[in-house]
Amino acid sequence: MLSDIPRPYSLLAELTHRCPLHCPYCSNPTRLAPPLDELTTNEWKRVLVEAAELGVLHVGFSGGEPLQRRDLEELVASARATGLYSNLITSSLGLTRRRAEELKAAGLDSVQISFQSDEESLADSIAGAKAHSKKVEAARLVREIGLPLTVNVVLHRGNIERLAEIIVLAESLGAERLELANTQYYGWAFKNRAMLLPTRFQIEIAAQLAREASKRLFGRMEILFVVPDYYSSRPKPCMNGWGRRHLTVNPIGKVLPCPTAGEIKQLRFDNVRSRPLMWIWSESEAFNRFRGTGWMPEPCRSCEFREIDFGGCRCQAALLTGDATVTDPACELSPFRHEMTGFVESTQGNAPRDFSAGLEQLIFRQNSGI
Amino acid sequence: MVSESIASTARPKLSARARLQTDKITGKPVLLYPEGALMLNPTAHAIVSLCTGQETVEAIASNLATRYQGSAPEIASQISAFLNRLRGKNLLELI
Repeated sequence: MLSDIPRPYSLLAELTHRCPLHCPYCSNPTRLAPPLDELTTNEWKRVLVEAAELGVLHVGFSGGEPLQRRDLEELVASARATGLYSNLITSSLGLTRRRAEELKAAGLDSVQISFQSDEESLADSIAGAKAHSKKVEAARLVREIGLPLTVNVVLHRGNIERLAEIIVLAESLGAERLELANTQYYGWAFKNRAMLLPTRFQIEIAAQLAREASKRLFGRMEILFVVPDYYSSRPKPCMNGWGRRHLTVNPIGKVLPCPTAGEIKQLRFDNVRSRPLMWIWSESEAFNRFRGTGWMPEPCRSCEFREIDFGGCRCQAALLTGDATVTDPACELSPFRHEMTGFVESTQGNAPRDFSAGLEQLIFRQNSGI
Repeated sequence: MVSESIASTARPKLSARARLQTDKITGKPVLLYPEGALMLNPTAHAIVSLCTGQETVEAIASNLATRYQGSAPEIASQISAFLNRLRGKNLLELI
């Protein structure tokens, strides 16, 4: 490998885009990958071996819903055999006791279950499916058979005021880690951002609650609170830098620097079906396009934070300005900052008093065509 | 950074969420856990290896003080800082 090319540490294996849920902030692209083109078991096994050889330490089996793949247990065993630490990122729908036990026996290291809220009717209306009670059951099952559990909750205007109760739920389920991830506004979530973005006040209260809980639960439950970058003055160090730490392989084998990069229309992404992962990581045009600092325009180019935030998020720059090569508008120094602040200001104070009453305005993820 | 002092009589045990193995690229020990990894220096590796739930913090400190011929209080404070870091990530049970 070229010596100036960093090694990747994590692989997100999006096994399928099929999913029983319809969350209006789904991180899958709005054009989903067709199931008939999904990578085969052997193709995924090759990806896992090549990833481990590149230096990857973690694999997240994700989707869609990864349990929709009948070969998940086999892939987990394969990850284990190459030394990868595996995490199952799941809605938990389809996680029977038998499958959970087989996954554990195959060497699965940890399970991350998504919850939409603590409260069943709200949770089910966000998921667009009757899912909450099954998730509670699955989370208990995971702990009962001795697999480590992370609870992940995507926060938005509709559930952020339930945060105290959500933390209690995670505690009662015996979660060892709780991820409170404010919605990232791409794809489906971007379509719904006017409905989903919490107010500044809601974020402040939630952050405070998360800090207090984190202190109270020190040594028992790790709490991660991800602030939405719509409310920060500096951009997030997206993926810790493009092509620097992470790669995503989508259901049909396209290799992406992040799960949403496929939305950048100017880039062509290579496929594991036609190229070795090593080549794609170190030599492909897409991975090198925004690697390092050489591609940066001003104000990033001369900014003292350029190797801290890496210019922020390329997908967000593309989404908000039409140009993936400019500074992320989440940065207060961006000439396009108004694209973000203007939107944020337009949403303050118009939170529907009853989020459920606004549900019909949300665009739920559709699975037609897959 | 939140922290709590750990009693010298506590017996730390590495959580089942964490896995210690050798990194293929560097040949060095690495601790893997959900969403993260720690590359371990020799001292950190020695501490993690002794977090079996059998040894007290005090015993770990005296073991390492002998092994590295260092000053016991200094090593004890290094151990305490490192164990707290692991506790913050919920990677340690105290038995």
